[in-house]
Amino acid sequence: MFLPTPPSYRHLMAASAIIVGAALPARAELFDNLEFSGIFETHTALAFKGTELQTSQFSLTPELSFDISPTMRFTLIGRLRGDLKDRLEPGAPSNFSRTTFNDRLFLGDQLDAEIREAYIDTEIGSSYLRLGKQQIVWGQADGLKVLDILNPQSFREFILPEFEDSRIPLWSVNAEIPIGELTLQLVWIPDTTYDDIPDQGSTFAFTSPLMVPQAPVGVPITFARTNKPSKVISDSDVGVKLSAFLDGWDLSLNYAYHYFDRPVVRRFITGEGVAIHQDYMRSHLIGGTFSNVFGDFTLRGELGYATNRYFQTDDIGDLDGVVRSNDFSYVLGLDYSGITDWFLSAQVFQSFLSNHEPDMIRGSVDTSITFLARRNFMNEALTAEALLIQSLSDGDGLLQLAVTYEWKSNVRLKAGADIFYGKKRGLFGQFREADRLTAGIEVAF
Amino acid sequence: MIPHLPKTEAFFTWLTNWPKTVLILSLLTIAAIGSFVPQIHKDTSSDAFIAKDDPVLIYREHVRKTFGLEDPIVVAVINNGENGVFTPESLSLVAEITETVSKLANVDPDRVTSLATESNIVGTFDGMEVTDLFDPFPNTQAHADRIKAAVEDFPLYQGSLVSRDGSTTLIVAELIDQEIAKDTYREIMKLVADMPKVGGDIHVAGEGAISGYLATYIDNDAKTLNPLAGIVITLVLFVAFRTIAGTLLPNVIVMGTVAAAFGFMAAFDISFYVITNGLATILIGIAVADSIHILSQVYEERVRMPDASRQEVAVRAMGKMWKPVTLTSITTIAGFVGLWLGAEMPPMKYFGLFAAVGVAAAWVYSMTFLPAAITYFKLKPSKLFTGANTNDRYGESLKRIGGAALKSPKLTLAVTLLIAILGVAGTSKVLVQEAQIENFQIDEPLYIADKAINQRMDGTYFLDVAIETTEVEALYQPRHLKRIEALQAYVESIPAVQGSTSVVDYIKQMHKAVNENQQAYYSIPDDPDLVAQLFFLYSASGDPTDFEEEVDYDYQRANVRFNLPTADYQLLTKIVPQIQSYVDQEFNTNEIKANLSGRVAVNHKWLKTISDNHVKSLTLSLLFVFIAAVLVFRSFIAGLFSLIPVVMALLLVYAVMGFSTIWLGVGTSMFAAIAIGLGIDFAIHTLDRMKELIMTRTGSYDDRMADLFPSTGRALFFNFAALGLGFAVLTTSEVPPLIRFGFLVMTAVSASFLAGLTILPVLGKVLRPAFLFTEVDANNKRRLVGATASTLVAATLATWLLVGEGADADDVLPDADALIASVNARDEGQWVSRNLKMELIDKRGKTRTRDTIGYRRYFDTEKRTVLFYLAPSSVKGTGFLTYDYPEAGRDDDQWLYLPALRKIRRISASDRGDYFLGTDLSYEDIKKESKVAAEDYSFNTLGAETVDGFETVLVEGVPVSDDIAKELGYGRVLWRIDPTIMMSRKVEMWDINGNPLKTIHNKDIHQVDGIWTTHSIMVENHKTGHQTNFTFSDVDYKNEVAEKMFEQRSLKRGK
Repeated sequence: MFLPTPPSYRHLMAASAIIVGAALPARAELFDNLEFSGIFETHTALAFKGTELQTSQFSLTPELSFDISPTMRFTLIGRLRGDLKDRLEPGAPSNFSRTTFNDRLFLGDQLDAEIREAYIDTEIGSSYLRLGKQQIVWGQADGLKVLDILNPQSFREFILPEFEDSRIPLWSVNAEIPIGELTLQLVWIPDTTYDDIPDQGSTFAFTSPLMVPQAPVGVPITFARTNKPSKVISDSDVGVKLSAFLDGWDLSLNYAYHYFDRPVVRRFITGEGVAIHQDYMRSHLIGGTFSNVFGDFTLRGELGYATNRYFQTDDIGDLDGVVRSNDFSYVLGLDYSGITDWFLSAQVFQSFLSNHEPDMIRGSVDTSITFLARRNFMNEALTAEALLIQSLSDGDGLLQLAVTYEWKSNVRLKAGADIFYGKKRGLFGQFREADRLTAGIEVAF
Repeated sequence: MIPHLPKTEAFFTWLTNWPKTVLILSLLTIAAIGSFVPQIHKDTSSDAFIAKDDPVLIYREHVRKTFGLEDPIVVAVINNGENGVFTPESLSLVAEITETVSKLANVDPDRVTSLATESNIVGTFDGMEVTDLFDPFPNTQAHADRIKAAVEDFPLYQGSLVSRDGSTTLIVAELIDQEIAKDTYREIMKLVADMPKVGGDIHVAGEGAISGYLATYIDNDAKTLNPLAGIVITLVLFVAFRTIAGTLLPNVIVMGTVAAAFGFMAAFDISFYVITNGLATILIGIAVADSIHILSQVYEERVRMPDASRQEVAVRAMGKMWKPVTLTSITTIAGFVGLWLGAEMPPMKYFGLFAAVGVAAAWVYSMTFLPAAITYFKLKPSKLFTGANTNDRYGESLKRIGGAALKSPKLTLAVTLLIAILGVAGTSKVLVQEAQIENFQIDEPLYIADKAINQRMDGTYFLDVAIETTEVEALYQPRHLKRIEALQAYVESIPAVQGSTSVVDYIKQMHKAVNENQQAYYSIPDDPDLVAQLFFLYSASGDPTDFEEEVDYDYQRANVRFNLPTADYQLLTKIVPQIQSYVDQEFNTNEIKANLSGRVAVNHKWLKTISDNHVKSLTLSLLFVFIAAVLVFRSFIAGLFSLIPVVMALLLVYAVMGFSTIWLGVGTSMFAAIAIGLGIDFAIHTLDRMKELIMTRTGSYDDRMADLFPSTGRALFFNFAALGLGFAVLTTSEVPPLIRFGFLVMTAVSASFLAGLTILPVLGKVLRPAFLFTEVDANNKRRLVGATASTLVAATLATWLLVGEGADADDVLPDADALIASVNARDEGQWVSRNLKMELIDKRGKTRTRDTIGYRRYFDTEKRTVLFYLAPSSVKGTGFLTYDYPEAGRDDDQWLYLPALRKIRRISASDRGDYFLGTDLSYEDIKKESKVAAEDYSFNTLGAETVDGFETVLVEGVPVSDDIAKELGYGRVLWRIDPTIMMSRKVEMWDINGNPLKTIHNKDIHQVDGIWTTHSIMVENHKTGHQTNFTFSDVDYKNEVAEKMFEQRSLKRGK
């Protein structure tokens, strides 16, 4: 656990300068088609409990892009974010999961700045190459992740924000190579940044025994150590995706050899109490996706088989409090757009463990379903949406309601509610006291 | 002469058994057909005289669009003082008028030209400078003198902007909408009336004013004439019968006749043209003719059989009159059918057709309503019908005239011959001539203005020659410019052409300016680069749009405009072919072509058909009435006899025209066909009665004829009076051609009437033709009418096939399926890229915009389209990809990339009718662009419609099944397809319940890289009040769009 130091930013700047400079040699095209745009957004959440503000934040996301050469384009997206309440990541967050060149710059407790994305798009023959900090997204599921594991995620507001904003872009090499009718994607991610997990005391800090080990009341917990991989080459992630559009089916085969982005939280019972060790573990993930349209219905699915996953157990006799298992999971979704201005979607998620022990917190089969209903009004100027995520295994869930109104071309007004329910031990139930109303303005420029 | 014909009498007996029913049915029919009349739509434009798909009209639209040329309204400021208009006062007046006129709603402020808006090109030591003539504004005489010198040094302005003597200058204002030109003319007139006069008058004229105002002028005039005609004819009826029934009943038939003609016109969506105004007057006269004959017979019968019941009287009268009335109706219809088939100009054709419809209606009502009314209402006996023969003063006078003619047959024939000779002589002197301006009274301000302006200036009538080259910037080439220069020189050498304007004039002026204003350099430079530089230099200090009327943006097309002070038919028939042959000769290479256009060329095109139309319709009418008469009397000689009064009337009219220099123009050219149709009646009635008298009476020929004049003659007289006075009403018109038309028809009708009553009995006496003196057997007679009718129908069809084929082929609507197939086959290029700005406007006017870039590419027959959102940032990166397969029944594949999800979503394409991303266009509309999924609809052509000034074909599409209708969201679609570009200019959609759903308006359609492309799509959703505007820019069909652009991986990359 350390705070980022200014020199890391100097490295970053230097790296950017080198990338840009390499392409510089007196090119007349440089800065051709320069585009600058951005979004300014406010986001206020009023917690039901105590009717106090959970967050009152703004974010400024400027985007700059220009051509370095006719076949090379540079894009830079930054983000400056301020939170007047500072309850999501109180004080200076530990931030240990980030690498030095993928860090956030904290300007006091309430402001943080980061480079969201910085990449060069280029083409080699008919292949696309994207080099730099970016998001690479796999999978067909909404709000549930089976294959979307390449980029880690920030859980500062759990899974409530859009993944676009909560996903942590990584410095990566991403090549998409057409091979006949197929497309081969090769991904190399030397950036060993992992999920941002809120520190204890934050509004959305994990408390569910599904995620963190529990200790009896009065037993002190110490965070003994965190082992975070940091070697650029040997600890890097790789991914391969082969995709095709065959006979109406969008298909993909995916394979990743990667560090799972959430650490394995082991608890060791010592004389002083409980010591927590956090380790990141490598996993093989093999899976695939499919989707096709049948009349008004779109069928989508993704499935994956992941090795070497760890799950919490209550077994006091277990040495480290986690059980290793392989995990087969899938999401099957059906979208219906047969009613004008309506979009209805349902998904089933199931996960099966290859190795299940009786005292494990979760069952051998975990089942969740989601329902999404979206209705557009006034030529899509107004959109109302309800998303329900229900765990069938634990009985808890999350209901998200949102209304977005496009007041002007570049101004959107948003309002919503996020309601968690179910038992406190559940994945969603753990936040049942964080229910909230939200409101925000988004101004694009 | 009608012997007992049980069948017809049985019919009329049966009919009059139910008088009330017949009356009610008649009135209901009149009301039902009449109810269409309010739907009638007016097309009073002069372009209506030419078929809408005529290449000349289409080409003129093309030129008008390319160079933005509209018919202008011209304001002339005259100062007769020593300095002409070059005084501070006059120039200030010009500035003031320019400013106020520019502010008028229908005036295009960018297209107002006057001294106050024009620039001077002057040489400077380092090139040239373009300065406004009025910069600074001339406050002193010295300054005004300097402007005078500048204008005198600028040949282009001489005669076109300022008269060569300096006394007159023009403010030329182009109109946005020609349809409301008359209102703009009035506004300008009002404006100008308030302006101070400085040393001379201010005049308002111009083509825009003339064609716009003319329609209203004639229209308003006719509005007062038609009621007047009704009153006059009612008076005639009263004088003829002196009974209320005799006066009112024919008026009901008039109503029925007029309602039928205009009701059917409206129901079949035929426009009401300027000349249609005359139709009502004619129909009023014709409609009463049948009832005059029948009622006369009724009153005679009553006198003859005082004790008979009303029904008996009616049946007897009808039994006697049905035949002549039917025959005259048939012959009149034949005359009008001749006009219908012979004329090429749509207004005349339809005049003929609906006049025929009206005559048929008058016949039907005369045969049904009239006998029923006579039976139902108690008719007071007319005091005028007292004895066996009605010897009132009209009968007496006619007897005297007819008797005199019969007594001196040689004299009668000599007079006839003399008139015939005069007629032939006159015919050779008839002048075919037409000029729109002559349609106005000579004291009309517009007329005065036109004459004054065209006397001083080079002319306000424009003949355009549109030059087209094959390459961009070809018009920098001196060889092309010299060709244009030579064209100008040649055409200006024609005496009637006063001046011309082209881009060459500007080039020469600029060339001179950059060479220290030396006159020697008033020439075309030899170097194309220098030409390009001159334009560049101009744009440095002048407004580059200054040339938009002369040359297009790409310097590929140019327009040369010639000024003519007059544009009458005689002049045009002389010079237009002359210029055409020069152009055909000199501009006929692979790299440069030219075409004549402008209003002058269009007018020439339709004016040149006047004499053809006249001769063709005259011949056909004569032929038809001849056939009808031959069949009526079953004698070839009788047919010739019937024609004599008509031909005499025509010859007399030609004599009048020839000797009094009445032109054979648009209005007057119709008189012949009409006069034949009307005039033949007199001959038929007379011959029919003569035959009866010869058969039934005894004594000498003269004795037997004694009754002809007081009875038939009297009825014919009132028939003639109704017609003659009806047309006489036209002579009180304010519109000179209408006065002439009324006068000519009146003359013809009078001549026919008189000739019928005098020449025919005399010829019968002298020649003793067999048909008058032999009885036709009863069986033959019964077949007479049927044979007449069927022969006429056959003749009409045959003529339509033979004569009408060429002309009418254009009127046949194209097959809808073929048209849609052509629309779908329209070249879209193999690929295209373009920017698209979407504006989403809600019913309160609040607008949201989206900037996108779109690409399309054909992979063989599979069409792939991709659209990327660029702005605003909130939707930036959104991408939409479609694969549209040619196989019917195979759904498209569609993907949507939402940046917020960073995922490509497969989306269902079966809801083609859903709105595309908040727009008012459906996914289907977006995908098909301006094409149509032919397998989804069954198509029908409904007619023609003008959209944005373009003639389009109205194609209806009804989804082939309810399921398809639901998918599309449309229950019915109406396309307006412009067959010249095979693109729909406007589409209307109805929802599946038949409610109006939306209107898509494709605008700003022009060619890009040779492909017709719409640059603006406006969609109005009638249900929500929401509106979507699409504006396309940077359309590029040339640069290849890479195949990979249409792959999912590209969708993620955002463009």
